[in-house]
Amino acid sequence: MSPIYLEAAVVVLGVFLLALEMFVVQGEKKILAWLGIAGLGIVLAASFFVDQTAPTGAVPSYHAFYSTDSLAMFFKRFALVTTIIVLVMSVDYLGVVRKFTPGATAHGGLGEFLALPVLTCAGLMWMASAVDFVMIFVSLELVTISFYVLVSYTRRNAASLEAGVKYLILGALSTGFFVYGITWVFGLTGQTNLEQVSAVFAAYQGSTAPLLFAFVLLVIALGFKIAAVPFQIWVPDVYQGAPTPVAAFLSVGSKAAGFVVFIRVLRTFFHATAIAHKIDLLLVAVAACTLVYGNLAALPQNNLKRLLAYSSIAHAGYLLIAVASSADPASGGAIAFYLAAYLPMTLLSFLVMIVVANYSAGDDIADFNGLSKRSPFLAFAMLIAMVSLAGLPFTAGFFGKFLVFTVAIAQHQTLLVILGIITVACGFYYYLRVVKAMYFEPDTTPSGQPGGQIPVGLLTRVTIAVLIAAILVLGIYPKPALGLLGSAAPQEAAGVLRSVSPQVVLR
Amino acid sequence: MSDKLPWIILFGPLTAALLILLVTRRQRQLSAGLSVAAVALSFLGSCLLFLQTGDQHVQFAWLDFSPRLLVNFGVTVNVLSKTMLLVVTGVGLLVHVYSVGYMEEDRDMARYFGGLSLFMFSMLGIVLADNFVMMFIFWELVGVSSYLLIGHWYERPQAADAANKAFLANRIGDFGFMIGILMLWGLTGTVDFATLQTTLAGYQEKGMIGDILPYLTVAALMVFCGPMGKSAQVPLHVWLPDAMEGPTPVSALIHAATMVAAGVYLLVKISFLLALVPTAREVIAWIGIITAVMAALMATQQSDIKRVLAYSTLSQLGYMICAVGVAAGEAAMFHLFTHAFFKALLFLGSGTVIYAMHHEQNIWKMGGLRAKMPITFWTFLLGTLALMGCPLLSGFYSKDAILVAMAREHPAICVLGLFTAFLTAFYMTRLFVVVFINRPTSDAASHAHEAPAIMSWPLLILAVPAVGAGWKFVAGPFGLGGAHDETTHPGSVLLGYVPVLAVSAFIVGALLGFIVYRNRAADPINIAAFRRKFYFDEFYAVLIRLTQDGLARLTALVDRWVIDGAGVRGVSGATWGTGFMLRFLQVGNLQAYAFLFGLGVILAIYLAILS
Repeated sequence: MSPIYLEAAVVVLGVFLLALEMFVVQGEKKILAWLGIAGLGIVLAASFFVDQTAPTGAVPSYHAFYSTDSLAMFFKRFALVTTIIVLVMSVDYLGVVRKFTPGATAHGGLGEFLALPVLTCAGLMWMASAVDFVMIFVSLELVTISFYVLVSYTRRNAASLEAGVKYLILGALSTGFFVYGITWVFGLTGQTNLEQVSAVFAAYQGSTAPLLFAFVLLVIALGFKIAAVPFQIWVPDVYQGAPTPVAAFLSVGSKAAGFVVFIRVLRTFFHATAIAHKIDLLLVAVAACTLVYGNLAALPQNNLKRLLAYSSIAHAGYLLIAVASSADPASGGAIAFYLAAYLPMTLLSFLVMIVVANYSAGDDIADFNGLSKRSPFLAFAMLIAMVSLAGLPFTAGFFGKFLVFTVAIAQHQTLLVILGIITVACGFYYYLRVVKAMYFEPDTTPSGQPGGQIPVGLLTRVTIAVLIAAILVLGIYPKPALGLLGSAAPQEAAGVLRSVSPQVVLR
Repeated sequence: MSDKLPWIILFGPLTAALLILLVTRRQRQLSAGLSVAAVALSFLGSCLLFLQTGDQHVQFAWLDFSPRLLVNFGVTVNVLSKTMLLVVTGVGLLVHVYSVGYMEEDRDMARYFGGLSLFMFSMLGIVLADNFVMMFIFWELVGVSSYLLIGHWYERPQAADAANKAFLANRIGDFGFMIGILMLWGLTGTVDFATLQTTLAGYQEKGMIGDILPYLTVAALMVFCGPMGKSAQVPLHVWLPDAMEGPTPVSALIHAATMVAAGVYLLVKISFLLALVPTAREVIAWIGIITAVMAALMATQQSDIKRVLAYSTLSQLGYMICAVGVAAGEAAMFHLFTHAFFKALLFLGSGTVIYAMHHEQNIWKMGGLRAKMPITFWTFLLGTLALMGCPLLSGFYSKDAILVAMAREHPAICVLGLFTAFLTAFYMTRLFVVVFINRPTSDAASHAHEAPAIMSWPLLILAVPAVGAGWKFVAGPFGLGGAHDETTHPGSVLLGYVPVLAVSAFIVGALLGFIVYRNRAADPINIAAFRRKFYFDEFYAVLIRLTQDGLARLTALVDRWVIDGAGVRGVSGATWGTGFMLRFLQVGNLQAYAFLFGLGVILAIYLAILS
């Protein structure tokens, strides 16, 4: 069975959920989420049994724009897992959605909120496989347009609506740059398939300016998707205004898909050796700005959602360090592992935030004061998420950063490594502020009343436990996960490293 | 089966700790039972392991970044670690049992036993670790569990402060330890003990050792920082006396018999490295003997029963460290071995006394306990004699081995060692006479009575090795107490007289202590410097005020004026209108964003094409 059926199944599931909504009794909309989670779970399981090998003999024509390599499979599963957890969040968030969604009936309009993420997931999965600019563009737009709707979904809430408009206009702007970049590439090469583009680039002898221009345009558009500075301007406002599950989806799913496209496009341009050092310069500049901006701007935040928005920019910075070191064969593995670590810790913090915000009616850091007394379980989950985001050893976040720095050192990206290490220290400050609020502040909500115990539903509880376990397992024994990512990568990275580091004394 | 044994020994206590944390938190007796069962299992496993002949080395790759860095998760089983296993699990088992009685009325008994099991796991990890990284991790875990147990009664400010102090002092040492590990890794490319040994041997064969000797010396000293913190050597010794705020069984297990000995164990384990660096060894020897003398002097003026024992522990640890410094690792292990038994006995004995006195720890309020608590009296007497180095008891043999090694390598150190032996006899006699022989000086002392059986049995059992652990046919199977190694030094004049001098130091010290303290209701000697611990705490307080507080003030200034003022507010363009400039930019919100986006585009194009 070809992997292409996976996306087909997801689309069918999404349409099915939409259709089913008509027949679901009022107030029972949660069943849609359960069905969605179950369906995506089946697809996820099926993804381990599909035939990944490229077909021989009569190659189906779609293989010109659809890849089934291990990179694609990894990001497909990534999208599925993310969507499942986003649906879990949505169940807890339905109350808020209902409050801010005008509908003919009390529960009108909730079904779409649960079906749209599933359709978005299909877009993310196509992005993971896209190896043709046309395909990339179409799947990217499927994702982006779904997000326009999702961001502004709670449309009685002015902030959500405003966020939606900002995302729409800035998103359209970036799409414009993307299409413009594609036209330049097409004009230069006459091709849209990445492989054929690479072949033309490899033999390219002409002026470098048009090449660079095309490259810059594409970087701008993709930089917008992954929240790289200076194209991050939308992130804080949109995250804060959007419904929280959507913000989580944006920060994990959309970002990861952005990175897989970024990697594929970048690999194409690496064939044009004449502009290699310019590419490097641009990437280093973007990575450095992203690191510094994301981490410094996160320092003074008092709202957790906004803090996570800046943190998402900061993590894009660390990922960009690995992207800027793409010449290293291990960088792909480092990026994959970093994202695999980023998924549980970010989703965990968003999930806990939703549950807590439901009870303290706010998502400021102050709303987490004394959480360890109100709900030791949630506080512990948040603690794990925060220390992992900060990069403490024995959590997934640590090895993500470790691998990224390893490839960066191997590629002599001294500036980025130094900036990275300094900004990690910043990260400890702003992440641990949340921990301080939970464990060391007196147990009061901002109104001064002691908060009560916070009940946690079974599904949420199980999901939180699984995410905690994932963070700890990846952090304590990452070897099997590294193997699963299909990368003998770290070994190679270390091999390069050996030649660089301090054996000097002996020679 | 046999290759699984070390894993069972190691992970039994961890399982108990996790079960107590997750399941049986609210059931006191069940938690205690689990914890005791786990350590009993480990003890049984250690016995079986000890009976097997031959060494084992089981490992699997944990973090594999080869060829640059390969960290295994593995265990080494040889005579050294087998002996240490028996000491740790044996003393551990008795202390666990004793704790069931001692902590009976404690509200948080389950938490206490959870901490104790976590400690056992970490300590066994240190014993079995086959590489530096694993050792370091368990080293830190031991620190954590020690922190938890010292601060068990965290409502008492002194206990909470003591826990913090212990943790911070150890942090300083462990930071050096980590740098030392990194240096060794940089020099040799490995963190594995066995590989390190062969690599260094290879360098030596090729004659390359001379080139790296300075680095190796620094690395060894950095590694020594770890033991300096954990084994409480000057100047990081300050935490150990304060750690006595923890429950007494904890003091017996962690702060006398096992954890503080981990430093010595580590040094013995890396003796192949120390053999190459005479300068580092010299430093280690001097730090050890200075600790021994200073701690003994301080012990003579303490009035808290547990603090006297704490300073005597410091002093004995100083002996062991010094023994490693004079290249007598085996003598150090021997003393560690005997000391574990008699010091645990003394601490548990003091615990029984404190229990009977309703948590009174001042020795000047005790007295006359000989008749009231006969079992405690007799066992305490044996422990005291062993510690003082009375001939035929275990302490005599191991102390003698160390003194002989000192005499051979370094006569000056040996003189100090003998002086310490004299002081030890003096202050232990003082303690014993005041607590047990003199007339009762308080109501509690007149009405004290013997502790329940669950607490007195461990005393009786411990008394056996406290007496006999030094005898050659007992210590022999553990690879201890054997013939002395040949060394390069011809041996000084002192060498032949060491046993005689040691015995006279014992007799003179004991007699002097008896004469001075017999029938005294208050301390006739008053030396403020000794009582105030040579003003170390005061000195550190000033040092911290000058350095850290100054640094903190400087950082606060930088934070307020540079980072907050210019950096953050300047950089965070999209944050809530902080700063006039950016508020101005946010007037036409969306347009401004699009404008900034466009600015970014122009910048990127400029950078890529035109620059």
